[in-house]
Parts: sequence; structure tokens; C-alpha cells
Amino acid sequence: MRLATGLVLGGILAAGALGAALSQTRIDPTTGAAAPTPTRRPGLAVLNRAPPRGGQVDWKAAIGGLRQTGGTNPAPNLNPAAVDMTRVPILLPTDADLTAGARIYSFGDYYTITADAPGAGVSLSGTTAVVPLPADTPLKITPMGPEGATSQRTVDGQLISFVRYGVLYTVEVRCDAPTDPRCADDNYARGLAAKTTAVVMGAAARAAAGLGG
Amino acid sequence: MRRLLLLSPLVLALALGSCDDKTKPAQTGPGGEVKTPASPQPGPPTPDDPPSDGGAEQPSSEPIPPAPGPPAQPPSPPAPSPATFAHEPAGAIPAGQGSGYLDRTVWSPAMCWPLQDDAFANSQVYGHGGGKGPAGTGQCDQANYSLPWRDTFCEARSRDNPLCAGGGTGHQGQDIRPAACKKNQYWAVAAETGVITDIGSYTVTLTASAAPHRVYRYLHMQMAALAVKEGDTVAAGQKLGKVSNDFGGTPTTIHLHFELRAGAAGATTDGKPVVLHTFLPPYMSLAEAYQRKLNGGTCGG
Repeated sequence: MRLATGLVLGGILAAGALGAALSQTRIDPTTGAAAPTPTRRPGLAVLNRAPPRGGQVDWKAAIGGLRQTGGTNPAPNLNPAAVDMTRVPILLPTDADLTAGARIYSFGDYYTITADAPGAGVSLSGTTAVVPLPADTPLKITPMGPEGATSQRTVDGQLISFVRYGVLYTVEVRCDAPTDPRCADDNYARGLAAKTTAVVMGAAARAAAGLGG
Repeated sequence: MRRLLLLSPLVLALALGSCDDKTKPAQTGPGGEVKTPASPQPGPPTPDDPPSDGGAEQPSSEPIPPAPGPPAQPPSPPAPSPATFAHEPAGAIPAGQGSGYLDRTVWSPAMCWPLQDDAFANSQVYGHGGGKGPAGTGQCDQANYSLPWRDTFCEARSRDNPLCAGGGTGHQGQDIRPAACKKNQYWAVAAETGVITDIGSYTVTLTASAAPHRVYRYLHMQMAALAVKEGDTVAAGQKLGKVSNDFGGTPTTIHLHFELRAGAAGATTDGKPVVLHTFLPPYMSLAEAYQRKLNGGTCGG
């Protein structure tokens, strides 16, 4: 879908990427438990820059991202307890206005950050938990670039997904007004995704990355 | 309700249970922060406006893509549904209204029926009184408040849905009408235990605490009188708000648009792997949850 848009999005995201690795924890939708690693479909290796490691984050790449961020937290207002319990690298946009009042909700292997913009809301999430879709039902979407970026138009906005450091990240924009240009197409959302490059790691993530608490 | 019992004699033998009435005080989310309440506490019942016809969840300014050919669907036969109430199979969408997604996976097997009362799952766009419904009909027509249920996931709409046949557009959730054609009366409740992570002008987002952290989006509730605010931890079955027709000023019928999302891994039509956060068909999960309610079970029980 939207080939040109996807190409641009993929290119932008790729510029800041250290490589995508599809190493999410597969969840059995019936039980909610981590499922055995399924037989990989042909072609899955296309996005695997690193071997799958059973739901592990690519911490080496994430540490590289952390260093590029310069060790500063672009959203010091985020609840430190929630940041500390998050076991995946937290990605934030380099947009002080947006992140100034942001709130984080963490479940350990999943976090979501909610931020406000005038007349709109932005949600940023990251997770290692994914459910496998039926292999015989192909998806009508075109992932672009090394991070497999996709764009979907929702009822009230735009939803961007991409994989970085072995983590599925999303950037979602929803608008109060249906005519809001930020939601009418994916330009605003992909622009926001492109500057979602700052890496934050709390205690759990640092421990998992071997950086100590 | 009376109609439902008449149509399903077996149900007469079953005690009608319901999800626990958990109108608990809101709590702060795990590690989350509480922002200024988005809505006041529910007030006294408001006067009922005469329901207006609508169904413009599919904006008239945005054409629906041409109906695709027969969908590529799982070849395996669907598992029989345990439901005893009248409902059409998953993916059975009337001709000319899109191609349904025939997946029978119950993506949220323990979820709570997301309304406190009985309700009718069917199309609010193509049904009576809908924006693309039969001429001369109204949203309160009995046809909309009768069984059987109908799946509306992948019904022809202009928004993206990679699971839908054709061009990858289609309805992203399930339309559910409340027990009667009255707005601001029937409660929507939490499908799973989780945290209210976002509230928009006509959306409430619930993120489940348990993996795989399904995301449920409730649209068109009475936003001025929600029972929750962002940051609240809610238990499965806890009241969230009342079903209405709030849609940011755009007309729509009285219904709950119920959306189920999660991180998902699959492959594209040309075999490329893709991992994304996307929409999952909620119909089978809803049917099972409703059956549990009819059986007198509690949420997830």
C-alpha cells in the first residue's frame, strides 16, 4: 500500500536504524503464554539481520542507540518506576513539546506512552510480544525498509509500525477532527516515527542489556 | 432480551449471568501516571435525544474501494462454535458489502463480553438507518435489534485493514448495538484487566495487562460521562462508559465500535515477513464471551 509513501518512510526509518531483528516473543493467542518458536516461513530471514534469539531484544544494537542518544533522557517527566520496570528499550521522539507532558504505562515487556498535541493524541509503544497470524492468510500490506515499516489508516488517525532492536514499535496519531490533516494521510505520523530515535533504558532494560541497574 | 430468549430456547435453561459489576474506584495504573481526568464522573441519566439516523462512520467523502474477488482464506474448516444463540458464521458478510475474513481464531479467548447487557452485533453502516442501509429505514428498526449476529470485520470501508481481501481495506472492528435503541443507557465494560492508556474525543483505549497485551478500542461511548479516565487500572467487567453515538460531530448510529488489536507476525501476499501492530477479528471472541455470559459465567471464567 502506498508504495511511494512506504518507500519514503522506510528510507527515513532506515537511516536511524541499526538493523532489524524479528525476535519477538511469539504468544499463543489461546493461552497468552509464550509459544514455542514456530517453523520460520520462507522469506522470514529477509528481515533477520541477526539470528532470532527466542524473544530477546538485540541489546547490542539498542546500546548503540542509547549511546547515540547521548545518555540523556528526552522525557525526564516520565514516571521513573514505569521506565525502570520496562524490559525493552524505550523509544522517544526528539520533540520536547510532545514529550513534555507524556505519560508512560508499562507492563514490563510492553509499554505505551501517551502524549497530547493540540487537537490530537499520540501513542508510542514497544513490545516483544506478538501473535502469529495464520500462515495461509497473507497480509495486504507492504513493509518497507530494513525495519519493515508499515502504515495503516485507522478510524481516527494513522498507525505506523516498525521493528528495531528486535522490538515491535508503533507510533499512532489520532485526531479529534476527521478533517485534521495530521490524520488524513500518514505524513505527520511517519515524520514523527522518523524522529523517534532517542533510546531510554530503565533499570530492567539496563540489567538485561548487561549495563547494570 | 425477550426476543433473544424466544429465538434461543436452549438459552432459557441457562441462567443469564453477567460480568461482575465492578464499578470500582479507579486506580492508578502500574507505574503509570494519572493525568487530569478526561471526563467527569457519571452523572444522573441525561434526557434521551431522539436517535437520529446516520451511519457515517464511513465518510461519504471517501469512496469505498470496489468489492474484491473471493477472499484468500484459510482452507481448513472452521471449528464449530459452541454458541447457542443465533449468529452468522465469522466472515459471512452479505454480497456487495465486502468480503469477510473467515478466520475462526478466537484471538481473545478469555475476554469479557464488553457490554453489561445483551446486544446485537450487526452492521451500523449497511443496516437499517445506516449510511449505506436500505432506503426509507431507520436505525431503531427491529431488524437492527434482532438476531442473528453478523460479523462486520472487513466489511467494505475505506480504512486500512491488511487482513481484508482485495486492497487491504475494510472495517477494523465489530459494530455492536446495545440492547435497545437508546443512547447513554447501556454500559460498555472492560474486556480484560488492564489500563486505560488513551482517551480521545470518541475513543477509549484499554491495554491488557497480560501478554500479548491486546489493545481494545471502544468507540462512540458517551464521552462526557465516562466512568474511567486515562491511567486507570480496570478489572475485566468494570464499567467504562455508556454506549452512545459520539463521533466528534460526525453523525453515526447508536452503537459500540469494538476493536481488537495486537502485535502480530505474518507474511505479505508476496511472502515477505511482516511484524506490525494491527487489527484482529473480534467476532469469534465476542461470540464466545457472549455465550459465557449466557451460560452464567463470569468474565474469563
